[in-house]
Amino acid sequence: MIQLAQLTKQFGSFTAVNNLNLNVAEGEIFGFLGPNGAGKTTTIRMMMGLLKPTVGRVVLGGYDLARNPLEAKAMSAFVPDRPYIYEKLTGSEFLRFVGGLYQVPAPVCHERIEESLNFFSLADWGDQLVESYSHGMKQRLVVAAALLHDPKILVVDEPMVGMDPIGARLFKSLLRSLTLKGKTVFMSTHSLEVAEELCDRIGIILGGKLIALGTLDELQQLAGTENRLEDIFLKLTAAPDMLEVIEALRA
Amino acid sequence: MKKLSVPSDQSPVKKVVSNQNSVISRKEKITLPSPWLLITGNWLLLLIPRFLALRNSLRRQGRGGWLRTLILTCLMVLFWGGAFWFFHRVLVYFHTIPELGPVLSQKLLSMIFLMFLAILLFSNVITGLSTFFLSHDLLLLVPAPVPPARLFTAKFIETLIDSSWTVLLFSAPAFLAYGVVHSGGPAYYVMTLLTIIPFLIIPAALGVIVTMAFAYVLPAHRGKDMLIVFSALFLALLYLFLRLLQPEKLVNPEAFSDFLAFLAAMQTPSSPFLPSTWATETLLPFLGLKEGAPLFYYLLLLSTALFLCVVGSWTATALYPVGWSKAQEGRRRGRQSQWLDTISRGIARLFPVYLRIIIIKDMKTFFRDTGQWSQLFQLLALVVVYVYNFSVLPRSGGFIKPLDSLNFQNIIAFFNLALAGFVIAAITVRFSFPALSLEGKTFWVLKSAPLHLRRWWWSKFWVSLLPLLFFGELLAIITNYFLGVSTFMMILAPVTLLFLTFSIVALGMAIGIAYPNFTAEHSAKIAASFGGVLYMVLSIVLIGLIVVIEAWPVHIVLLRKFQHIPLSPTDWNSIFFSSTLALSLSVGTFLISTHWSIARLEEMEISL
Repeated sequence: MIQLAQLTKQFGSFTAVNNLNLNVAEGEIFGFLGPNGAGKTTTIRMMMGLLKPTVGRVVLGGYDLARNPLEAKAMSAFVPDRPYIYEKLTGSEFLRFVGGLYQVPAPVCHERIEESLNFFSLADWGDQLVESYSHGMKQRLVVAAALLHDPKILVVDEPMVGMDPIGARLFKSLLRSLTLKGKTVFMSTHSLEVAEELCDRIGIILGGKLIALGTLDELQQLAGTENRLEDIFLKLTAAPDMLEVIEALRA
Repeated sequence: MKKLSVPSDQSPVKKVVSNQNSVISRKEKITLPSPWLLITGNWLLLLIPRFLALRNSLRRQGRGGWLRTLILTCLMVLFWGGAFWFFHRVLVYFHTIPELGPVLSQKLLSMIFLMFLAILLFSNVITGLSTFFLSHDLLLLVPAPVPPARLFTAKFIETLIDSSWTVLLFSAPAFLAYGVVHSGGPAYYVMTLLTIIPFLIIPAALGVIVTMAFAYVLPAHRGKDMLIVFSALFLALLYLFLRLLQPEKLVNPEAFSDFLAFLAAMQTPSSPFLPSTWATETLLPFLGLKEGAPLFYYLLLLSTALFLCVVGSWTATALYPVGWSKAQEGRRRGRQSQWLDTISRGIARLFPVYLRIIIIKDMKTFFRDTGQWSQLFQLLALVVVYVYNFSVLPRSGGFIKPLDSLNFQNIIAFFNLALAGFVIAAITVRFSFPALSLEGKTFWVLKSAPLHLRRWWWSKFWVSLLPLLFFGELLAIITNYFLGVSTFMMILAPVTLLFLTFSIVALGMAIGIAYPNFTAEHSAKIAASFGGVLYMVLSIVLIGLIVVIEAWPVHIVLLRKFQHIPLSPTDWNSIFFSSTLALSLSVGTFLISTHWSIARLEEMEISL
């Protein structure tokens, strides 16, 4: 469902993403992990057409993003890490606007807006301007907007940031139910517990390069440990000095 | 419950920390204290981040950045030169009028100070709300152990600089012209500098006091919204008021029935309690324009400034904690009225279906954002004054040359055409140029959606173009009617303006896309950016070129009409050539701007 082929992004002489090759199957939840500045957000931005790859291509649902951007975008949805949305629109107006962008027929759109506002506990806030929302509420609204057109692919960048425990639980349940319906989820996160709990496969990126890819079992084998994902992640990505410091603090 | 501890002496953490300590202590022994350490104990420390940010942005700008600085500097020098030339001409003219001249010079200086005082008061209150209550660094500073007096001093200076530097910059040519025309001498220039400082401090301190009171009563966000509307309305009314005063009559004493009464009225200071009067009275004796007691007025200015600073500090100490707490409250909840929804949907129906959602979204965000819609006041004032100026132009008699001659009327009509083009460009820079920048950080919504961005471009274009075209044509027709121009000009001006408006709006959007500013707080700030200035320069060049190219065929037509000779084939050829050139320039600008900006939009990369 998602194909990244030789994906590379350079900013001047700095290579943010280096020759990334990845396939994500239909109905899979894929966790994309990596330390800060590893290239996760740059990869996601390229997948959503916000950045142009220097080399390589992104194929979403069989559509090459460079050649058929509208088709590729129509079947996918994006939830960014920071919910920048139109502050002077109400929640309902924002959802209607997004419905219009994705050409959701008006009666269907109306019905789905009501459903999603209820689902995300925003029904009382639908007629309020977004500027009066808290960070978590905005995040929930963005997720509601992303699901409005019933996308086949959901790309999520740090979904839990700013969400309260109820919102986070709601979101995790939602991702599971989506995959049961055959939707594909590509999720970047720093929350290793979430990745461990939800993801079918995990990719770890470091310095723009994919250094590990597989199921949790496969990653345990790769790292030579039977510990939790946190230990695997640290072993693969942290510098030896830092590991010493962490061990000392644990002790 | 077990206590957490880090017991081992061999702990790597300890090793790391102790290593760091040894490095620091070694450094302390061998290096002199950093210059910053010398001022960490006072309020200057709080201003260092801004200074460093400015220094870093200047240091790190590439070749394009330096070019931008160079162009802005050149424009600034040009503006200064132009302003100095204007004031110099006016003052030299006043100088030539016996008895009345010095009075007019005094009055002008008083008006300059009064206008600056009014602008500074508003600008300090609005800036104060941002620096004291809404600035991001406050989340770091307020919880930090910073004494309130130190925070107040730093923020007060920040407010003072932010709201006063433009006034200082714009007033300099006027003060220089006064010094040159009236042979002020070094004492005048020194005194001007000494006078300006307390003159700027007074509105800043007053502004801070009002800000504190405002924020005590209302959350800072709402207070700022209200003040933006009030200040826009105030500026529009001030502009209207100054124009409707008919200042041209000041140079025409014959218009007054009693010259002595006029003279007496002119010499009376506007109000002895205003700091602008004190500043004027301080400087006039140094220009030899008036006998007086400059020291008395200067001390009045200085003592008031110091007194208000103390009162401001007290007010801040008393009211700031409550105001700050209120400012942390979110925006007020409130149901949105339906009328905007109904109107925007109604207007959107006039456009193709695929543009409607963007038009509805834009109309709603425009009318709910005080920073955007309040600019309509200034636009309205601009249009009223524009039409008024033409309605009062004397057709015959008076001190201005009569406009009876057909040729002269048509020259004025060309000037009017250029002016109408300039007004359209000035409105475009406020409303269409910032189109992309105002999408701000929400642009990802459009960019990641299955939407051809050309649709976004065209929706913005049509929404900008249609009202501008309507107003532009109306202005041209009404003002040409007042001028009584020939039928030929009556047709030529609206036709030219039609093409010009298309190209000016498209150019505005193209430059706005070339120089987007996704972080600006409001559209006025975007319009004043480098891109905005560049757009205005390019628009003026375009308008100038088209007017000059069109002047030739008009000249020929009028000349032949005056000579009672029919147009020759050569005349027709030159008319055809000029018209084609003007039309090509307009259409070419439109096509290039449209094509380039849509391609750029599609290619644009955005960071969230």
